[in-house]
Amino acid sequence: MKASMRTEGDAAVIALSGQLMGGPDAEAVRQLIRENLEAGRRKIVIDIGDISWVNSTGLGILIASHLTVTNAGGCLKLSRVSHRISQIFMVTKLHTVFETYDSVEQALRGFVG
Amino acid sequence: MAEESRSSRIFLTIPSRLEWLDLVDKIASGIAIQMAFSQEEADGVANSVLEAGTNAIQHGHRYDPELPVEIIFEISADALRVRVHDEGRGFDADRVLRVDPTDPQCLLAQRGRGIFIMRSLMDEVAFEIGHGCTAILTKYRSKAIR
Repeated sequence: MKASMRTEGDAAVIALSGQLMGGPDAEAVRQLIRENLEAGRRKIVIDIGDISWVNSTGLGILIASHLTVTNAGGCLKLSRVSHRISQIFMVTKLHTVFETYDSVEQALRGFVG
Repeated sequence: MAEESRSSRIFLTIPSRLEWLDLVDKIASGIAIQMAFSQEEADGVANSVLEAGTNAIQHGHRYDPELPVEIIFEISADALRVRVHDEGRGFDADRVLRVDPTDPQCLLAQRGRGIFIMRSLMDEVAFEIGHGCTAILTKYRSKAIR
């Protein structure tokens, strides 16, 4: 997995690509989330449009990110979720946990305040 | 794919490293598409094989790259059956199967969805535990495409 980050106003966009499957991926995402929270950015979009697949360990990374951000009083959204990953979200009911948007721009507009 | 009266088998062995799972994914997906499963069904097969492979590497072999994970794709007229074998001690299937990760109390757990995902996306999931652990995943072809 590769990760990059940019800011959009008071929000952060973390773009992931490749495969989200645990191992070193978890620390890379955790580090980016932590950096943004420490910088005072509590509106975070994780763009997974270039992630080809996620396994259950990768789901754990997304859940941990969601919990970290919400526990810090922030809001995490996911953008560009593929049909394949949506299939996993549906069977695990994680579609009821994650806010998902068709584009990064839509996710950014979804932040209130 | 032409109708097959006999089954064909494809063997794959990978080291216990997560980065090899992308190759497994491509092969699983390619075989399912070749068998005329729909894209959604092929995604389900690939996602399930990935979960079985992840379990073998993480829990069966504890990331020891010297231990091989063996994957056999059995293609027959009526089904695709995938066997994923590791040399680990197996697990307590009854305990794992009792947990419903979609239960509201478990929804935010960071682990424990692998077998549930396999059982949700495949038609049959079984485990042989003895000389290592083998996950056996079966997806049946619809009669229309046999």
